[in-house]
Amino acid sequence: MAPMTTANIIETRGVTKRFGARTAVSDFSLTVPRGSAFGFLGHNGAGKTTMIRMLLGLTRADAGEMRISGRPVPQERAAVLARVGAMVEEPNFHRHLTGRENLRVVAAARGPAAARRIDGALRRVGLTDRAEDRVRTYSQGMRQRLGVARCLLADPELLILDEPMNGLDPGGILEFRTMIADLTGEGRTVFVSSHLLDEVEKTCEYAAVIDRGAMVAQGPISELLQDDRVELDIDCDDARAALDLLDGHPAVTAAHETPAGLRVTVTASEVAASINSRLVSAGLSVFRLAPVRESLEQRFLEITSRVGGES
Amino acid sequence: MTVAMQMFSAEVLKLRRNRGLMAFTFLLTVGVVVLYFGYSALRHASNPSQYGAAGGLVDFQHAVRLLGMYFGGLAAILIGTEAGTADLASGVFRDLVTTGRSRLALFAFRAPAAAFVSIAFTTVAFALSVAATFQFADGLSTPTVGVILQSYGWMVLANAVLACLAVGVGSLTGSRGLTLTGVIGWQTIVSQLLLNAGSLGSVRDLLLPASLGQLAPMPAGIPFTVSTGAAIAVVVGWAAVPAAVGAWRTRAQDA
Repeated sequence: MAPMTTANIIETRGVTKRFGARTAVSDFSLTVPRGSAFGFLGHNGAGKTTMIRMLLGLTRADAGEMRISGRPVPQERAAVLARVGAMVEEPNFHRHLTGRENLRVVAAARGPAAARRIDGALRRVGLTDRAEDRVRTYSQGMRQRLGVARCLLADPELLILDEPMNGLDPGGILEFRTMIADLTGEGRTVFVSSHLLDEVEKTCEYAAVIDRGAMVAQGPISELLQDDRVELDIDCDDARAALDLLDGHPAVTAAHETPAGLRVTVTASEVAASINSRLVSAGLSVFRLAPVRESLEQRFLEITSRVGGES
Repeated sequence: MTVAMQMFSAEVLKLRRNRGLMAFTFLLTVGVVVLYFGYSALRHASNPSQYGAAGGLVDFQHAVRLLGMYFGGLAAILIGTEAGTADLASGVFRDLVTTGRSRLALFAFRAPAAAFVSIAFTTVAFALSVAATFQFADGLSTPTVGVILQSYGWMVLANAVLACLAVGVGSLTGSRGLTLTGVIGWQTIVSQLLLNAGSLGSVRDLLLPASLGQLAPMPAGIPFTVSTGAAIAVVVGWAAVPAAVGAWRTRAQDA
Protein backbone atom coordinates (compact mmCIF):
# COMPACT_ATOMS: atom_id res chain seq x y z
CA MET A 1 0.00 0.00 0.00
CA ALA A 2 1.38 3.42 -0.92
CA PRO A 3 2.23 5.62 2.05
CA MET A 4 -0.37 8.26 2.82
CA THR A 5 0.85 11.84 2.80
CA THR A 6 -1.02 14.28 5.00
CA ALA A 7 -0.15 17.84 5.96
CA ASN A 8 -0.10 16.88 9.62
CA ILE A 9 1.75 13.78 10.66
CA ILE A 10 0.17 13.61 14.12
CA GLU A 11 -3.39 14.63 14.89
CA THR A 12 -5.18 13.89 18.13
CA ARG A 13 -8.66 14.93 19.23
CA GLY A 14 -10.00 14.79 22.77
CA VAL A 15 -7.53 12.19 24.02
CA THR A 16 -8.00 11.33 27.67
CA LYS A 17 -6.14 8.91 29.92
CA ARG A 18 -7.00 8.12 33.52
CA PHE A 19 -5.06 6.15 36.10
CA GLY A 20 -7.74 5.32 38.65
CA ALA A 21 -9.18 8.59 39.93
CA ARG A 22 -6.33 10.67 38.53
CA THR A 23 -6.64 12.11 35.02
CA ALA A 24 -3.17 12.10 33.47
CA VAL A 25 -4.19 13.51 30.08
CA SER A 26 -7.43 15.38 29.53
CA ASP A 27 -9.23 16.15 26.26
CA PHE A 28 -5.89 16.56 24.49
CA SER A 29 -5.87 17.78 20.90
CA LEU A 30 -2.52 18.05 19.17
CA THR A 31 -1.49 18.86 15.61
CA VAL A 32 2.06 18.24 14.42
CA PRO A 33 2.93 19.49 10.91
CA ARG A 34 4.77 17.02 8.69
CA GLY A 35 8.46 17.66 8.15
CA SER A 36 8.86 19.90 11.18
CA ALA A 37 10.91 19.78 14.34
CA PHE A 38 8.25 19.91 17.02
CA GLY A 39 8.88 20.54 20.71
CA PHE A 40 6.57 19.03 23.28
CA LEU A 41 6.96 20.95 26.51
CA GLY A 42 5.75 20.40 30.01
CA HIS A 43 6.87 20.11 33.59
CA ASN A 44 7.79 16.69 34.97
CA GLY A 45 4.55 14.76 35.43
CA ALA A 46 2.59 17.07 33.12
CA GLY A 47 1.55 14.13 30.91
CA LYS A 48 4.12 14.27 28.09
CA THR A 49 5.29 10.68 28.34
CA THR A 50 1.77 9.35 28.86
CA MET A 51 0.68 11.09 25.66
CA ILE A 52 3.64 9.63 23.78
CA ARG A 53 2.95 6.16 25.15
CA MET A 54 -0.64 6.37 23.93
CA LEU A 55 0.48 7.46 20.47
CA LEU A 56 2.79 4.45 20.28
CA GLY A 57 0.24 1.96 21.57
CA LEU A 58 2.20 1.27 24.75
CA THR A 59 -0.85 2.10 26.82
CA ARG A 60 -4.50 2.59 25.88
CA ALA A 61 -6.35 5.90 25.75
CA ASP A 62 -9.65 6.00 27.62
CA ALA A 63 -11.21 8.39 25.11
CA GLY A 64 -10.41 10.37 21.98
CA GLU A 65 -8.96 9.81 18.54
CA MET A 66 -5.35 9.69 17.39
CA ARG A 67 -3.96 9.62 13.87
CA ILE A 68 -0.41 9.25 12.68
CA SER A 69 0.19 9.94 9.02
CA GLY A 70 -3.57 9.96 8.51
CA ARG A 71 -4.06 6.46 9.92
CA PRO A 72 -5.93 5.79 13.14
CA VAL A 73 -3.96 4.41 16.06
CA PRO A 74 -4.04 2.02 17.77
CA GLN A 75 -6.30 0.42 15.12
CA GLU A 76 -3.60 0.52 12.41
CA ARG A 77 -0.60 0.69 14.68
CA ALA A 78 1.38 -2.05 12.92
CA ALA A 79 1.34 -0.20 9.59
CA VAL A 80 1.87 3.18 11.24
CA LEU A 81 4.73 2.18 13.51
CA ALA A 82 6.61 0.52 10.66
CA ARG A 83 7.68 4.06 9.68
CA VAL A 84 8.00 5.52 13.18
CA GLY A 85 11.15 5.49 15.28
CA ALA A 86 10.63 6.13 18.96
CA MET A 87 12.77 6.56 22.02
CA VAL A 88 10.57 6.66 25.10
CA GLU A 89 12.10 7.84 28.37
CA GLU A 90 15.70 6.64 28.71
CA PRO A 91 16.96 4.34 25.96
CA ASN A 92 17.18 0.78 27.28
CA PHE A 93 19.24 -2.05 25.86
CA HIS A 94 20.33 -5.59 26.61
CA ARG A 95 23.50 -4.55 28.38
CA HIS A 96 25.28 -7.86 27.76
CA LEU A 97 24.91 -7.45 24.00
CA THR A 98 27.02 -5.19 21.79
CA GLY A 99 25.59 -2.10 20.15
CA ARG A 100 25.30 -3.90 16.83
CA GLU A 101 23.64 -6.94 18.43
CA ASN A 102 21.10 -4.72 20.15
CA LEU A 103 20.22 -3.22 16.78
CA ARG A 104 19.94 -6.75 15.34
CA VAL A 105 17.38 -7.62 18.00
CA VAL A 106 15.13 -4.70 17.07
CA ALA A 107 15.79 -5.09 13.34
CA ALA A 108 14.57 -8.68 13.62
CA ALA A 109 11.18 -7.41 14.77
CA ARG A 110 11.08 -4.77 12.03
CA GLY A 111 11.98 -7.05 9.13
CA PRO A 112 14.82 -7.74 6.67
CA ALA A 113 15.04 -4.16 5.35
CA ALA A 114 15.79 -2.88 8.86
CA ALA A 115 18.68 -5.34 9.23
CA ARG A 116 20.26 -3.87 6.11
CA ARG A 117 20.15 -0.39 7.68
CA ILE A 118 22.21 -1.31 10.75
CA ASP A 119 25.60 -0.23 9.37
CA GLY A 120 24.23 3.05 8.06
CA ALA A 121 22.48 3.84 11.32
CA LEU A 122 25.64 3.17 13.35
CA ARG A 123 27.66 5.32 10.99
CA ARG A 124 25.12 8.12 11.17
CA VAL A 125 25.30 8.39 14.96
CA GLY A 126 29.08 7.95 15.04
CA LEU A 127 29.14 4.57 16.78
CA THR A 128 30.76 2.42 14.09
CA ASP A 129 34.01 2.16 16.06
CA ARG A 130 32.21 1.03 19.23
CA ALA A 131 29.60 -1.17 17.56
CA GLU A 132 31.25 -4.41 18.72
CA ASP A 133 31.54 -3.30 22.36
CA ARG A 134 29.01 -4.36 24.94
CA VAL A 135 26.45 -1.68 25.76
CA ARG A 136 27.31 -1.91 29.45
CA THR A 137 30.57 -0.12 28.56
CA TYR A 138 28.77 2.78 26.83
CA SER A 139 28.42 6.25 28.30
CA GLN A 140 24.99 7.87 28.66
CA GLY A 141 25.61 9.92 25.52
CA MET A 142 26.54 6.82 23.53
CA ARG A 143 23.38 5.05 24.68
CA GLN A 144 21.33 8.06 23.57
CA ARG A 145 23.00 7.90 20.17
CA LEU A 146 22.43 4.16 19.94
CA GLY A 147 18.78 4.88 20.75
CA VAL A 148 18.60 7.20 17.77
CA ALA A 149 20.31 4.56 15.61
CA ARG A 150 17.60 2.12 16.70
CA CYS A 151 14.98 4.65 15.56
CA LEU A 152 16.68 5.01 12.19
CA LEU A 153 16.29 1.29 11.45
CA ALA A 154 12.69 2.09 10.53
CA ASP A 155 13.76 4.68 7.92
CA PRO A 156 11.24 6.77 9.86
CA GLU A 157 9.03 9.50 8.54
CA LEU A 158 8.41 10.39 12.19
CA LEU A 159 10.85 10.22 15.10
CA ILE A 160 9.44 10.54 18.59
CA LEU A 161 12.20 11.35 21.05
CA ASP A 162 11.29 11.61 24.72
CA GLU A 163 13.81 13.79 26.60
CA PRO A 164 16.62 12.86 24.18
CA MET A 165 19.09 15.36 25.63
CA ASN A 166 18.88 14.15 29.21
CA GLY A 167 22.31 13.49 30.62
CA LEU A 168 24.20 14.81 27.59
CA ASP A 169 27.17 17.13 27.98
CA PRO A 170 27.22 20.41 26.02
CA GLY A 171 29.07 18.77 23.14
CA GLY A 172 26.52 15.96 23.02
CA ILE A 173 23.65 18.45 23.06
CA LEU A 174 25.19 20.33 20.15
CA GLU A 175 25.58 17.06 18.21
CA PHE A 176 21.97 16.20 18.93
CA ARG A 177 20.79 19.62 17.78
CA THR A 178 22.68 19.17 14.49
CA MET A 179 21.28 15.67 14.07
CA ILE A 180 17.71 16.88 14.52
CA ALA A 181 18.30 19.63 11.95
CA ASP A 182 19.72 17.05 9.52
CA LEU A 183 16.77 14.73 10.02
CA THR A 184 14.18 17.42 9.39
CA GLY A 185 16.28 18.51 6.40
CA GLU A 186 15.61 15.05 4.94
CA GLY A 187 11.87 15.63 5.25
CA ARG A 188 11.42 13.62 8.44
CA THR A 189 9.36 14.92 11.32
CA VAL A 190 11.08 15.03 14.70
CA PHE A 191 8.81 15.23 17.74
CA VAL A 192 10.93 16.09 20.77
CA SER A 193 9.59 15.99 24.28
CA SER A 194 11.82 18.01 26.55
CA HIS A 195 12.03 20.19 29.58
CA LEU A 196 15.17 21.87 28.17
CA LEU A 197 13.26 24.88 26.86
CA ASP A 198 16.29 26.68 25.54
CA GLU A 199 17.15 23.63 23.43
CA VAL A 200 13.63 23.35 22.06
CA GLU A 201 13.70 27.03 21.15
CA LYS A 202 16.97 26.52 19.27
CA THR A 203 15.97 23.24 17.63
CA CYS A 204 12.26 23.37 16.85
CA GLU A 205 9.98 25.48 14.69
CA TYR A 206 6.78 24.40 16.41
CA ALA A 207 5.88 23.57 19.98
CA ALA A 208 3.02 22.52 22.21
CA VAL A 209 2.79 23.09 25.93
CA ILE A 210 1.06 20.56 28.18
CA ASP A 211 0.29 21.34 31.79
CA ARG A 212 -1.44 18.98 34.22
CA GLY A 213 -2.53 16.82 31.28
CA ALA A 214 -4.14 19.67 29.35
CA MET A 215 -3.00 21.48 26.22
CA VAL A 216 -2.34 25.12 27.04
CA ALA A 217 -0.68 26.38 23.85
CA GLN A 218 0.56 25.10 20.51
CA GLY A 219 1.75 26.52 17.23
CA PRO A 220 4.86 28.03 15.66
CA ILE A 221 7.32 29.05 18.36
CA SER A 222 7.48 32.56 16.89
CA GLU A 223 3.73 32.91 17.49
CA LEU A 224 3.91 31.39 20.96
CA LEU A 225 6.44 34.04 21.89
CA GLN A 226 4.28 36.94 20.71
CA ASP A 227 2.74 39.04 23.45
CA ASP A 228 0.54 42.13 23.52
CA ARG A 229 2.97 43.96 25.76
CA VAL A 230 5.93 45.86 24.27
CA GLU A 231 8.86 46.34 26.59
CA LEU A 232 12.16 48.15 26.11
CA ASP A 233 15.40 47.73 28.01
CA ILE A 234 17.28 51.01 28.37
CA ASP A 235 20.84 51.33 29.55
CA CYS A 236 21.93 54.95 30.22
CA ASP A 237 24.26 56.89 32.51
CA ASP A 238 21.55 58.01 35.01
CA ALA A 239 18.69 55.56 35.41
CA ARG A 240 16.97 57.59 38.15
CA ALA A 241 16.90 60.75 35.99
CA ALA A 242 15.64 58.74 33.01
CA LEU A 243 12.85 57.29 35.13
CA ASP A 244 11.74 60.81 36.12
CA LEU A 245 11.87 62.00 32.52
CA LEU A 246 9.78 59.12 31.19
CA ASP A 247 7.20 59.39 33.95
CA GLY A 248 5.23 61.93 31.97
CA HIS A 249 5.71 60.38 28.51
CA PRO A 250 2.27 59.63 26.98
CA ALA A 251 3.39 56.31 25.42
CA VAL A 252 4.93 54.89 28.58
CA THR A 253 2.53 52.83 30.68
CA ALA A 254 5.03 51.51 33.24
CA ALA A 255 8.71 51.78 34.05
CA HIS A 256 11.04 50.43 36.70
CA GLU A 257 14.72 50.18 37.44
CA THR A 258 16.57 46.93 36.79
CA PRO A 259 20.17 45.94 37.57
CA ALA A 260 21.01 46.72 33.92
CA GLY A 261 19.18 50.06 33.78
CA LEU A 262 15.48 50.52 33.08
CA ARG A 263 12.65 48.34 31.77
CA VAL A 264 9.90 50.39 30.20
CA THR A 265 6.49 49.19 29.04
CA VAL A 266 5.20 51.19 26.08
CA THR A 267 2.06 51.24 23.95
CA ALA A 268 3.85 50.40 20.68
CA SER A 269 7.36 49.53 19.57
CA GLU A 270 7.43 52.57 17.25
CA VAL A 271 7.73 54.97 20.21
CA ALA A 272 11.29 53.80 20.94
CA ALA A 273 12.72 56.60 18.78
CA SER A 274 10.82 59.38 20.59
CA ILE A 275 11.85 57.95 23.98
CA ASN A 276 15.47 57.89 22.88
CA SER A 277 15.13 61.46 21.61
CA ARG A 278 13.67 62.70 24.89
CA LEU A 279 16.49 61.11 26.94
CA VAL A 280 19.25 62.43 24.66
CA SER A 281 17.65 65.93 24.56
CA ALA A 282 17.75 65.98 28.36
CA GLY A 283 21.51 65.37 28.23
CA LEU A 284 21.52 61.70 29.17
CA SER A 285 23.87 59.26 27.43
CA VAL A 286 21.97 56.24 26.12
CA PHE A 287 24.22 53.22 25.68
CA ARG A 288 21.56 50.70 24.66
CA LEU A 289 17.85 50.73 23.87
CA ALA A 290 16.46 47.38 22.80
CA PRO A 291 13.06 45.65 22.67
CA VAL A 292 12.72 42.85 25.20
CA ARG A 293 12.58 39.49 23.46
CA GLU A 294 10.77 37.03 25.63
CA SER A 295 12.41 33.61 25.77
CA LEU A 296 10.46 30.38 25.42
CA GLU A 297 11.36 29.64 29.00
CA GLN A 298 9.75 32.86 30.25
CA ARG A 299 6.71 32.27 28.07
CA PHE A 300 6.44 28.67 29.24
CA LEU A 301 6.57 29.68 32.88
CA GLU A 302 3.94 32.37 32.30
CA ILE A 303 1.60 30.01 30.49
CA THR A 304 1.90 27.11 32.90
CA SER A 305 1.70 29.26 36.04
CA ARG A 306 -1.39 30.98 34.61
CA VAL A 307 -3.11 27.64 34.14
CA GLY A 308 -2.00 26.56 37.57
CA GLY A 309 -3.51 29.69 39.04
CA GLU A 310 -6.89 29.03 37.47
CA SER A 311 -7.23 25.51 38.76
CA MET B 1 16.14 -14.59 5.99
CA THR B 2 12.45 -14.49 6.89
CA VAL B 3 11.11 -12.38 9.74
CA ALA B 4 10.38 -15.56 11.72
CA MET B 5 13.96 -16.78 11.31
CA GLN B 6 15.30 -13.35 12.24
CA MET B 7 13.18 -13.19 15.40
CA PHE B 8 14.12 -16.72 16.44
CA SER B 9 17.78 -15.94 15.80
CA ALA B 10 17.53 -12.73 17.85
CA GLU B 11 16.03 -14.62 20.81
CA VAL B 12 18.81 -17.22 20.63
CA LEU B 13 21.39 -14.43 20.39
CA LYS B 14 20.12 -12.82 23.62
CA LEU B 15 20.51 -16.14 25.43
CA ARG B 16 23.78 -17.39 24.04
CA ARG B 17 25.57 -14.08 24.61
CA ASN B 18 24.72 -14.24 28.32
CA ARG B 19 28.05 -15.68 29.46
CA GLY B 20 27.06 -16.36 33.06
CA LEU B 21 23.92 -18.20 32.03
CA MET B 22 25.79 -20.25 29.43
CA ALA B 23 28.56 -21.17 31.88
CA PHE B 24 26.07 -22.27 34.52
CA THR B 25 24.07 -24.23 31.97
CA PHE B 26 27.24 -25.96 30.81
CA LEU B 27 28.00 -26.98 34.40
CA LEU B 28 24.46 -28.26 34.96
CA THR B 29 24.50 -30.42 31.85
CA VAL B 30 27.94 -31.40 30.52
CA GLY B 31 29.60 -30.79 33.86
CA VAL B 32 27.16 -32.98 35.76
CA VAL B 33 27.52 -35.86 33.28
CA VAL B 34 31.32 -35.66 33.41
CA LEU B 35 31.19 -35.64 37.20
CA TYR B 36 28.70 -38.49 37.36
CA PHE B 37 30.56 -40.86 35.07
CA GLY B 38 34.00 -39.66 36.17
CA TYR B 39 33.22 -40.26 39.83
CA SER B 40 31.67 -43.66 39.10
CA ALA B 41 34.64 -44.69 36.95
CA LEU B 42 37.13 -43.64 39.62
CA ARG B 43 35.18 -45.44 42.29
CA HIS B 44 34.99 -48.60 40.20
CA ALA B 45 38.70 -48.43 39.37
CA SER B 46 39.64 -48.02 43.01
CA ASN B 47 37.53 -50.93 44.25
CA PRO B 48 35.93 -53.04 41.49
CA SER B 49 34.63 -55.67 43.88
CA GLN B 50 32.54 -53.17 45.85
CA TYR B 51 31.56 -50.70 43.11
CA GLY B 52 30.12 -51.75 39.79
CA ALA B 53 31.21 -50.47 36.40
CA ALA B 54 30.46 -46.81 35.60
CA GLY B 55 28.77 -47.58 32.27
CA GLY B 56 25.99 -49.87 31.17
CA LEU B 57 22.23 -49.57 31.03
CA VAL B 58 21.57 -48.57 34.66
CA ASP B 59 24.03 -45.68 34.66
CA PHE B 60 22.71 -44.60 31.29
CA GLN B 61 19.24 -44.56 32.79
CA HIS B 62 20.47 -42.44 35.71
CA ALA B 63 22.22 -40.00 33.38
CA VAL B 64 19.12 -39.59 31.23
CA ARG B 65 17.05 -38.89 34.32
CA LEU B 66 19.60 -36.30 35.47
CA LEU B 67 19.46 -34.58 32.10
CA GLY B 68 15.71 -34.77 31.61
CA MET B 69 14.25 -33.99 34.98
CA TYR B 70 16.91 -32.81 37.40
CA PHE B 71 20.03 -30.88 36.42
CA GLY B 72 19.11 -30.61 32.74
CA GLY B 73 15.62 -29.58 33.79
CA LEU B 74 17.11 -26.97 36.08
CA ALA B 75 19.14 -25.61 33.16
CA ALA B 76 16.00 -25.48 31.02
CA ILE B 77 14.22 -23.52 33.76
CA LEU B 78 17.11 -21.06 34.03
CA ILE B 79 17.17 -20.49 30.29
CA GLY B 80 13.38 -20.31 30.03
CA THR B 81 13.27 -17.77 32.83
CA GLU B 82 15.87 -15.62 31.10
CA ALA B 83 13.98 -15.83 27.81
CA GLY B 84 10.69 -14.96 29.49
CA THR B 85 11.95 -12.00 31.48
CA ALA B 86 14.92 -10.51 29.57
CA ASP B 87 13.02 -7.98 27.46
CA LEU B 88 10.93 -6.75 30.37
CA ALA B 89 13.78 -6.65 32.87
CA SER B 90 16.07 -4.74 30.51
CA GLY B 91 13.32 -2.31 29.43
CA VAL B 92 13.70 -3.32 25.78
CA PHE B 93 10.18 -4.74 25.55
CA ARG B 94 8.81 -1.22 25.10
CA ASP B 95 11.15 -0.61 22.19
CA LEU B 96 10.14 -3.89 20.58
CA VAL B 97 6.45 -2.99 20.91
CA THR B 98 7.07 0.37 19.22
CA THR B 99 8.25 -1.47 16.12
CA GLY B 100 4.61 -2.31 15.47
CA ARG B 101 5.29 -6.07 15.61
CA SER B 102 2.43 -7.81 17.44
CA ARG B 103 3.09 -8.62 21.06
CA LEU B 104 2.05 -12.22 20.50
CA ALA B 105 4.71 -12.52 17.81
CA LEU B 106 7.27 -11.07 20.22
CA PHE B 107 6.24 -13.70 22.78
CA ALA B 108 5.98 -16.59 20.34
CA PHE B 109 9.71 -16.99 19.73
CA ARG B 110 10.78 -16.99 23.37
CA ALA B 111 9.85 -20.60 24.17
CA PRO B 112 11.29 -22.17 20.98
CA ALA B 113 14.54 -20.26 21.48
CA ALA B 114 14.78 -21.27 25.14
CA ALA B 115 14.06 -24.92 24.28
CA PHE B 116 16.59 -24.83 21.44
CA VAL B 117 19.42 -23.46 23.61
CA SER B 118 18.76 -25.77 26.55
CA ILE B 119 18.43 -28.82 24.29
CA ALA B 120 21.70 -27.88 22.57
CA PHE B 121 23.49 -28.27 25.89
CA THR B 122 21.67 -31.41 26.99
CA THR B 123 22.29 -32.97 23.57
CA VAL B 124 26.04 -32.62 24.07
CA ALA B 125 25.70 -34.00 27.58
CA PHE B 126 23.54 -36.85 26.28
CA ALA B 127 26.14 -37.74 23.66
CA LEU B 128 28.79 -37.85 26.37
CA SER B 129 26.52 -40.07 28.44
CA VAL B 130 26.08 -42.52 25.57
CA ALA B 131 29.84 -42.61 24.99
CA ALA B 132 30.53 -43.16 28.69
CA THR B 133 27.81 -45.81 28.91
CA PHE B 134 29.62 -47.92 26.33
CA GLN B 135 33.15 -46.94 27.29
CA PHE B 136 32.75 -47.86 30.93
CA ALA B 137 30.29 -50.78 30.51
CA ASP B 138 32.95 -53.35 31.43
CA GLY B 139 30.75 -56.25 30.34
CA LEU B 140 27.42 -54.87 31.58
CA SER B 141 24.46 -54.75 29.23
CA THR B 142 24.19 -51.57 27.20
CA PRO B 143 21.15 -49.75 25.77
CA THR B 144 19.93 -50.59 22.29
CA VAL B 145 19.73 -47.93 19.58
CA GLY B 146 15.97 -47.87 20.09
CA VAL B 147 16.31 -47.19 23.80
CA ILE B 148 18.91 -44.49 23.14
CA LEU B 149 16.67 -42.74 20.64
CA GLN B 150 13.61 -43.02 22.88
CA SER B 151 15.61 -41.72 25.85
CA TYR B 152 16.84 -38.78 23.79
CA GLY B 153 13.30 -37.99 22.68
CA TRP B 154 12.07 -38.12 26.28
CA MET B 155 14.90 -35.86 27.48
CA VAL B 156 14.15 -33.35 24.73
CA LEU B 157 10.46 -33.41 25.65
CA ALA B 158 11.20 -32.87 29.36
CA ASN B 159 13.61 -29.99 28.65
CA ALA B 160 11.22 -28.34 26.20
CA VAL B 161 8.28 -28.53 28.59
CA LEU B 162 10.27 -27.09 31.49
CA ALA B 163 11.70 -24.30 29.30
CA CYS B 164 8.21 -23.49 28.06
CA LEU B 165 6.84 -23.52 31.61
CA ALA B 166 9.55 -21.10 32.75
CA VAL B 167 9.05 -18.81 29.74
CA GLY B 168 5.33 -18.63 30.50
CA VAL B 169 5.77 -17.90 34.18
CA GLY B 170 8.61 -15.45 33.45
CA SER B 171 6.48 -13.56 30.94
CA LEU B 172 3.68 -13.44 33.49
CA THR B 173 5.74 -12.12 36.40
CA GLY B 174 8.42 -10.21 34.52
CA SER B 175 10.74 -11.02 37.42
CA ARG B 176 13.70 -13.40 37.24
CA GLY B 177 13.86 -13.89 41.00
CA LEU B 178 10.18 -14.59 41.40
CA THR B 179 10.11 -16.97 38.43
CA LEU B 180 13.18 -18.95 39.45
CA THR B 181 12.01 -19.23 43.04
CA GLY B 182 8.50 -20.22 42.01
CA VAL B 183 9.28 -22.72 39.27
CA ILE B 184 12.31 -24.37 40.88
CA GLY B 185 10.57 -24.44 44.25
CA TRP B 186 7.51 -26.02 42.69
CA GLN B 187 9.42 -28.61 40.69
CA THR B 188 12.02 -29.64 43.26
CA ILE B 189 10.20 -29.24 46.56
CA VAL B 190 6.45 -28.90 46.29
CA SER B 191 5.97 -31.48 43.54
CA GLN B 192 8.15 -33.99 45.37
CA LEU B 193 6.22 -33.49 48.61
CA LEU B 194 2.91 -33.88 46.80
CA LEU B 195 4.11 -37.01 45.00
CA ASN B 196 4.73 -38.59 48.38
CA ALA B 197 1.39 -37.50 49.87
CA GLY B 198 -0.61 -40.72 49.49
CA SER B 199 -3.83 -39.06 50.63
CA LEU B 200 -3.94 -37.11 47.36
CA GLY B 201 -4.46 -40.31 45.38
CA SER B 202 -4.76 -39.91 41.62
CA VAL B 203 -4.61 -36.12 41.87
CA ARG B 204 -0.86 -36.65 41.93
CA ASP B 205 -1.05 -37.84 38.33
CA LEU B 206 -1.55 -34.21 37.37
CA LEU B 207 1.96 -33.37 38.53
CA LEU B 208 4.54 -32.96 35.80
CA PRO B 209 7.12 -35.41 37.25
CA ALA B 210 4.49 -38.18 37.40
CA SER B 211 3.45 -37.73 33.78
CA LEU B 212 7.02 -37.39 32.52
CA GLY B 213 7.89 -40.49 34.49
CA GLN B 214 5.12 -42.38 32.78
CA LEU B 215 6.39 -41.34 29.35
CA ALA B 216 10.02 -42.26 30.10
CA PRO B 217 11.27 -45.20 27.99
CA MET B 218 12.77 -46.72 31.14
CA PRO B 219 11.55 -46.50 34.71
CA ALA B 220 12.14 -42.93 35.78
CA GLY B 221 11.95 -43.49 39.50
CA ILE B 222 8.49 -41.95 39.93
CA PRO B 223 6.20 -44.24 41.94
CA PHE B 224 2.94 -43.47 40.11
CA THR B 225 1.38 -44.65 36.92
CA VAL B 226 -1.05 -42.83 34.67
CA SER B 227 -2.22 -43.89 31.23
CA THR B 228 0.00 -42.79 28.37
CA GLY B 229 -2.76 -40.65 26.87
CA ALA B 230 -3.40 -38.93 30.17
CA ALA B 231 0.32 -38.44 30.70
CA ILE B 232 0.66 -36.79 27.29
CA ALA B 233 -2.28 -34.51 28.04
CA VAL B 234 -0.81 -33.53 31.40
CA VAL B 235 2.65 -32.83 29.93
CA VAL B 236 1.15 -30.75 27.12
CA GLY B 237 -0.92 -28.89 29.70
CA TRP B 238 2.16 -28.04 31.76
CA ALA B 239 3.65 -26.39 28.68
CA ALA B 240 0.52 -24.92 27.14
CA VAL B 241 -1.20 -23.37 30.14
CA PRO B 242 1.77 -21.30 31.40
CA ALA B 243 2.56 -20.33 27.80
CA ALA B 244 -1.01 -19.16 27.25
CA VAL B 245 -0.98 -17.15 30.48
CA GLY B 246 2.39 -15.63 29.57
CA ALA B 247 1.12 -14.74 26.09
CA TRP B 248 -1.99 -13.13 27.54
CA ARG B 249 0.10 -11.07 29.95
CA THR B 250 2.51 -10.02 27.19
CA ARG B 251 -0.43 -8.89 25.08
CA ALA B 252 -2.32 -7.08 27.82
CA GLN B 253 0.31 -5.33 29.91
CA ASP B 254 1.37 -1.70 29.54
CA ALA B 255 4.82 -1.55 27.96
